[in-house]
Amino acid sequence: MKRFVVVLSTLAIAATLLAPVPARAIPAFARKYGFNCTMCHSNFPRLNDFGQRYRANGYQLPGRENDEKTVLESPPPFAMRTSAGFNADNLSFPNIQPDVAQFQVNGIDILSAGLFARNIGYMLNFVPNVDLSGGTPAVGGTLEMASVVFSNLFTPWLNVRVGRFEPAYVPFSAKRQLSAVPYDAYEFVFPGGAPLSETQTGVEVTGHGAWGLSYAAGWVNGSSSNLLRDFPLDFYLRLSETIGGGEGQTAGQRIGLIGYAGLARSQDAAVASRVGRARVGLDLSLNHSHFNLALQYLFGWDQSGLWRDPNVLYFREPDDVLSHTGFAELSWLPRTDLVAFARFDGVYAPGQTFHGDLLRASLGARYYLIDQVAIHAEYSHAYQFARGAQTVDTAIGMGTLRLDFAI
Amino acid sequence: MKRIVVVTLVAAAVALVLRSAPTHAEGQFLANTLLPPMPVPADNPQTDAKIRLGRQLYFDKRLSVDNTISCASCHAPPTGWANPHATDTGVRGQVGGRNSGTVINSGYMQFQFWDGRAPTLEAQAVGPIANPIEMGETLDNAVKKLNDIPGYLEQFHVVFGSAATADGIGKAIAAFERSIVSGPSPYDRYLMGDREALTPAARRGMELFKGKARCTPCHSGPLFSDQSFHNLGVGQNGDKPDIGREQVTKDARDRGKFKTPTLRNIAQTPPYLHTGTEKTLLDVVEFYDQGGIANDNLDRMMLPLALTQGEKEDLVAFLEALTGPVTDVPYPALPPNADGSPAPDPASVDVKPDVPSVGGAQ
Repeated sequence: MKRFVVVLSTLAIAATLLAPVPARAIPAFARKYGFNCTMCHSNFPRLNDFGQRYRANGYQLPGRENDEKTVLESPPPFAMRTSAGFNADNLSFPNIQPDVAQFQVNGIDILSAGLFARNIGYMLNFVPNVDLSGGTPAVGGTLEMASVVFSNLFTPWLNVRVGRFEPAYVPFSAKRQLSAVPYDAYEFVFPGGAPLSETQTGVEVTGHGAWGLSYAAGWVNGSSSNLLRDFPLDFYLRLSETIGGGEGQTAGQRIGLIGYAGLARSQDAAVASRVGRARVGLDLSLNHSHFNLALQYLFGWDQSGLWRDPNVLYFREPDDVLSHTGFAELSWLPRTDLVAFARFDGVYAPGQTFHGDLLRASLGARYYLIDQVAIHAEYSHAYQFARGAQTVDTAIGMGTLRLDFAI
Repeated sequence: MKRIVVVTLVAAAVALVLRSAPTHAEGQFLANTLLPPMPVPADNPQTDAKIRLGRQLYFDKRLSVDNTISCASCHAPPTGWANPHATDTGVRGQVGGRNSGTVINSGYMQFQFWDGRAPTLEAQAVGPIANPIEMGETLDNAVKKLNDIPGYLEQFHVVFGSAATADGIGKAIAAFERSIVSGPSPYDRYLMGDREALTPAARRGMELFKGKARCTPCHSGPLFSDQSFHNLGVGQNGDKPDIGREQVTKDARDRGKFKTPTLRNIAQTPPYLHTGTEKTLLDVVEFYDQGGIANDNLDRMMLPLALTQGEKEDLVAFLEALTGPVTDVPYPALPPNADGSPAPDPASVDVKPDVPSVGGAQ
């Protein structure tokens, strides 16, 4: 009965969406202006320089703030994104996570974004849980983003974002990356913690202006392991400089520095109070012709105790955990409808036993049937070195061929 | 089961919202659309007699100080109602500092001249008469000359109920200029449902225009102009940069900004940009592909585009498809002088070589 209802409902929704409409169904911002996706995306979902400026300007066209229409004047600002296809993952840890060789729906994002008024924008992103194999809704979901941004407060040097948002200290957006494989440098996190690239709840101040200089500073809740009574004490700062015309996305050369410091709670109840953690990093985004080279290095410091997990037998981190993580990604955009990429990720953190050190190589391509529908093919191979109770080196293979699309 | 129903209902609601999105013209507020009817100011309604008078004045060189330059000298019908030279030569061989914009569809523009210093077409129409570089005449003397010509005096009485005035000259010429409009271009026919009106290259160019080439944010609406002012960096790095809009507003934030021109019939009006420095449409596309010219006030929408050669050519194909038929205007017979001598030949528009500019503003 359940399946019948779901199938029937899905067919009804599909029929509703596919019925002829006066305007072409394209995502929220593009639909509002009458633009194509490629106005802001070099290759969906990755932003180009114009899209980056649009986002930094609080979802307003730079210099045209007086001409913008609000959510009450323009089409309903809803969009959805999902991908579906065949996943083949050989994870080598069947006892922890099963291997995969199946058609899957890789989740869905329901987005709404736009302007309430001049210089007051918002972004909502709800991610319902979806059973990957069946594609059926599971219990609950995540409000991944829910923020209001106040832009150009007297000057482009002062913009304030409040709520839950993608923090600006992440130089290469994990939400809009080309690869289907997460950035290992951002994913390297203590037991119970959230990836560095995860959305944060708090307040962020950003600014951009002359000479290609940008900054971002934030005060956020920090780790998801913190408790409700834990007063937020996570702060970050990012400075970046772009040389040449562009934002370093597809034009210009960008160099950035990030610093993040905060407190997090260990999974081990024996560690009574929160302990410190910090990241500092250097990033480069270099563009030449139709090539982009993205480089990220992160140095991490996690105070003793943070990596302890009583659920894992081999936990034993008496000392601070120092880590060196990073990646290099080369992407090639010969045409609007094609992008190819190769990425190399590395994690080196000898002071802990929870994760093995990791080297990963990924190779992929996306071909765009139309702006918002891409065929995505990728293979990623990782080599994880023995550590702690894991006594042998292991290889991890992940392949996917999927359709990635947004409406 | 309850959750499934809830999620399904939410998704259905979203689907319905998307389904009920406003139509093209209502929702996509920067989209390029068909031209609406020509707006006409209440104090200067269009009449046949007024347009006829305005046409004569437009082509009459006697409005210039030495009877050598008419409006048509720099905005000639055979060259897209613009001028094929980078900048124009006015009276006494003086050369202006900016390219002459087209008169086609000028009645739709909210601002006239590259720097927008004239708020109406009526104000624009008399501007060049008194400009010392262009026609070099005083308005008082131009009025006196017209009132000395019986054929004009009579027409002004018929149209305005009085002898010629500066206000009447502006209104008559503006009324005539409002009659110069472009008809349906291949792009318009495409919008109206003729899917074959655009070539495959032009269709690809259209997608680039509102996508990767990022033209639409400024070249928006039916006129392909946001009716605003932008700094592209053109002419800003010389010894005497043309400050453009700042000259009108006295606001430093407007330094180097110039009006976004219409792109309708753009293929007929080379050269391009306010300096006339880009000779072909492909040159203009190449210019934008570089992201403009860096300067302190460069528009933040100006960014390198990374277009391929094929994409540039597709874009040019689309720009060429914005050309529609223009009102056919034969050269008028002009009233003879008071002494019976004939008026200067309105069709004798001298072809002038490009010569170094001495400044001045169109």
